[in-house]
Amino acid sequence: MSDNGTGAPPVLLYAEHVSKHFPGVQALRDVDFTLERGEVHALVGQNGAGKSTLVKCISGVHPPDGGRILLDGREITTYTPKHAFDLGIAVVHQRPQLLPWLSVTENVMLGKLPARKGLMIDRRKADELTRDLLARFRLDIDPEVPVAYLSAPDRQQVAIAKALYRNAKLLILDEPTAALDAQRSAQLFALVEDLAQQGVGIIYVSHHLEEVFRLAHRVTVLRDGELVSTQPASELSQDEVVTLMAGHRITGSVVAESAAVSEEAVPALEFSHVETTLLHDVDFGVRQGEVVGVVGLIGAGGHDLAQVLFGLDRPTSGRVALQGRTYQPQGPKQAIAQGIFLVPEDPARDGLVPVLSVAQNVTLVSLKAVTRRGLLSLRREREVAEHYVGELSIATASVNTAVRNLSGGNQQKVLLAKALTSKAEVLVLEEPTQGVDVHAKAEIHRIVRDLASRGKAVMVVSTDIRDLLQFVDRMVALRAGRVVADVPARSTSYAQILDLTVGSVAVASA
Amino acid sequence: MSTGTEGMKSLATDGLVGATTAGPALSGGAPNGKGRQGAARSRNVDVFTLWPIAVMVLIIIATSFTSSRFLSVFNFENILSQAAPLGIVTMGQCILLISGGLDLSVGYNISFASIITGLLLEHNAPLGVAVLAGIFAATAVGFVNGVLAAQGRAHPFIITLGMSIFLFGLDTQLTGGAPVNNMKGLYSAFGGYMPGGFPFFGLPSVTWPFLIVVLLTYGFLRWAPLGRRAYAIGGNEAAAYLSGIPVKRTKIYLYTLMGALVGITGMVLSGQINEASFNLAQNFELQSIACAVIGGTALFGGRGGAFRSLQGVALWGLVQNSILFIGFSSNYQQMSLGVIIILAVMVTRVQR
Repeated sequence: MSDNGTGAPPVLLYAEHVSKHFPGVQALRDVDFTLERGEVHALVGQNGAGKSTLVKCISGVHPPDGGRILLDGREITTYTPKHAFDLGIAVVHQRPQLLPWLSVTENVMLGKLPARKGLMIDRRKADELTRDLLARFRLDIDPEVPVAYLSAPDRQQVAIAKALYRNAKLLILDEPTAALDAQRSAQLFALVEDLAQQGVGIIYVSHHLEEVFRLAHRVTVLRDGELVSTQPASELSQDEVVTLMAGHRITGSVVAESAAVSEEAVPALEFSHVETTLLHDVDFGVRQGEVVGVVGLIGAGGHDLAQVLFGLDRPTSGRVALQGRTYQPQGPKQAIAQGIFLVPEDPARDGLVPVLSVAQNVTLVSLKAVTRRGLLSLRREREVAEHYVGELSIATASVNTAVRNLSGGNQQKVLLAKALTSKAEVLVLEEPTQGVDVHAKAEIHRIVRDLASRGKAVMVVSTDIRDLLQFVDRMVALRAGRVVADVPARSTSYAQILDLTVGSVAVASA
Repeated sequence: MSTGTEGMKSLATDGLVGATTAGPALSGGAPNGKGRQGAARSRNVDVFTLWPIAVMVLIIIATSFTSSRFLSVFNFENILSQAAPLGIVTMGQCILLISGGLDLSVGYNISFASIITGLLLEHNAPLGVAVLAGIFAATAVGFVNGVLAAQGRAHPFIITLGMSIFLFGLDTQLTGGAPVNNMKGLYSAFGGYMPGGFPFFGLPSVTWPFLIVVLLTYGFLRWAPLGRRAYAIGGNEAAAYLSGIPVKRTKIYLYTLMGALVGITGMVLSGQINEASFNLAQNFELQSIACAVIGGTALFGGRGGAFRSLQGVALWGLVQNSILFIGFSSNYQQMSLGVIIILAVMVTRVQR
C-alpha cells in the first residue's frame, strides 16, 4: 500500500497533536493520525470517543485548537468545509446532503457543470460524464433522475461520485453501512477496495468491527478524546479492539437492589416474537419496578421498538402485551391513554415545544388534569409545574421560562416531568442522557431509579452501553433487529455487551 | 459540504422558523402577548412587543398638529368602526397563524356569508334565519378548509388559496356579479357607516362584536385547552403529536372557528355598508395576516396573542386615517402600510 506507483510520497494526511475543546468537554486531546495514499484507515471508538470531532477537524468543520494537519506535506491553514473540499478532502455522511430536486448529474457536478462557451450548461455532456464516472466505479444509477427519487444507498453513492468527480484524494466514510443491506454493503466494500487500489486514501469510521477488519489496513482506536492505539489490522483481533475501546476501567454497575421486582409478576410490558421490517423475533418483557436497558448500534432496532410501543410502527406478526392484555395502539394518543409514555430521543425536535414555557410543556400531555369546567386553570398548571420542577430539580428561572432557554439536561428533565404527569405505568426513554453533562446524567439516572422504585416499568433505549450499565437492572442487547442477549446488568460487563452489539450481520451474510 | 446535518438543520430552521430554534433567546422568551401571567410575567414583557403602541403615539402626536379634527371622539369612533370588520377576521387569522396555519380564503368567504344572508333577505327570510344561514355557510367553508389542511397533503396556503378562487367563482355565480343592495335588518343594526349613526352604549354598534371577539379570543388563547393545543401544534407539531394531542382534529376545529368568525365579519361588514357582493372584503386575507404579524404573531406558528394582533389592527386603522387627515392621497396609505409590515417583521426578528 505504500507503493502506489504514482511516485508521490506515501503519506497523504498527517495530523499531529490535534486537540479540540468544546465548552465543558475536551473532545480531542493531542491526537496523532496519519493516512497514506491507497490506505483504508479505520477509526473506531465508543460514542463520544472523539471520532467525529477528528473527522470534523480534518474536513474543516471545526478548526483544531492545538496541533496541525498537513495534506500532501502542506499545512492546512484555512479550516472551512469548502476549503477542505477544494483540497480534495470529501466526507460522505450517513445521510448525505444533496439537493433533492436536482438530478444526479447536477448534484455530482454542482458548481462545475460543463458548459458550452461558458454559458449554457451542456446537459448531454454532463450526463455522459456522470454516467462514465458512475460506471467506472460500478455505481448503477441513472444520472438524469432527481436525487429525491433515489433510495438511501443510492444517495450515498451519489455523494461518493460527487467526491470522485472533484478528484477527492481523501475520502472519509462515516458509518457508511448504517443504511445498507448486506448486498449493498458488499458493493460498497468492493468500491472502497477499488478506490484504495487507485490511490485514494480512505478514513473509515464505523462501529461494525467485522467491516473494519475486512477493509482496513490500519485501525486507530480513540477513547475519551485520546488516542489509544494505531496498529495494522493484521496484528489485531476483534477482541483486542473491544478491550482497547473499553479501556481498563471496569465499569461496575451501581444499580440499587430493586426489591420491588418480582419474578412471578406478569410483565407490565411484554414482546412475544415481534416482527417488523427491522425487528426479528423480539421476545422479552419489562416488569413493574424494573429498568431494562435496550442497547444496540444505531439501526439495530431499539428505536423501532419504541416506535412500535407508541403506535408509530406496527408489528407484522407477534404480540405486544401491556399488563397482560394485547396492546395495539393507533398512535401516541391511544398509547398515552393506555398508560405508555415515550420520551423521544431528541427533545428539541420531537419532545418539547421550545417557544412554550416550562409549565406549558409539562402539562401538555395532561391538559385535562389542569382543566376546570372546560377551561385551563393557570394556577393549577403552575402548581403542577412547580411541583415537578422541585421534584426533578429542574434548573429554571421560573416555570414561565421558555423551554428553549434551558440547558439540554434540564430540557431532558422537563420531558421526564411530562412523562410523570402522563401517569403512565410504562415509560420508554430514548437516549435520555445523550448530550447532557455528567452531573445531569447522574440526576437522570437517579430519577429513572426513583420512577422504578415507585412501581413504573421503565425501558431505556440507548446506544451508550457504559451509561446504561450504571442504572439499569437488565440489559437487552440488539443486533440487526434480533435480541442477542438478555442478561442482568450485574452479571455482565461493558466489553461483553460491546462485543455482542458490534458484530456486523451485513458482513457475515455478504 | 461537510457541515453536520444538525448544522444544516439549525441553519434552515433559524432562517425560516425562528420560533422553533433552540438558539439563545432574549429575556422573556416565553410566549408574550398573552397578557400578564402574574407579577413575574409583567416584568418579563418584552418592550419590543409594545412598539406598535409607541408608533401609534407618535402618529397621533404628529397628526394632531396638522389637523384639529383628528383628535376627536368623532374621529376615534370613525377609526374604530372602520377597523372593526378587519379586526374580527384578524383574531381568527391570529389563532390560525399561532397553530402554524393560515387562511387565504377569508376575503371571498366573507362575501359568501354576506351573499347568502343578502339573498335570503331579498327573498324575505326572517333576519335571524338569514344571519344564521350566512354564518353557517362561512363556517362550513372553514370546516372544509380544516379537513383538507388536517390531511397534511398540501400546505394550508395552497388549500385556502384554492378555496378562495373557488369561492370567487361561487360568489359571482350566486349574485350574477351584481351586489345585493338592501341588507334590511343588518343595516339597521350595523349601518351608519359614519359614527354617530347608530350608537350603542356610546360606541358605533359595529365595534361591539369586534370588542367581544377580541376578548373571547384572548380568553380562548389563554384558558381554552384548544387554544393551548394551537400553540403546541404551531410551536412543534411533532412534539404535540407525540404528547397525545389530536393534531388533525384540532386543526379542523381551528379552521371551523375561523369560518365562524368570517361569517360574523360578513354580517358586520355587509350590514355596515348595506351591501353584499363578491368584492365586499377584497384583500382582507392579506390585510388580516399583515395586522396579526405587525402585532408580533409569528408567521410560522407558536407565538402571538389577541392583544398583540389588536395592536396591529389599531396601527393599521390609525395609519389609514391619519394619512387622510394629513391630506395625502390614499395611495400613500398603501405605501406606508407596505413599509410598516416589512418593518414589523424585521423588528420581530431583531427581537429574537
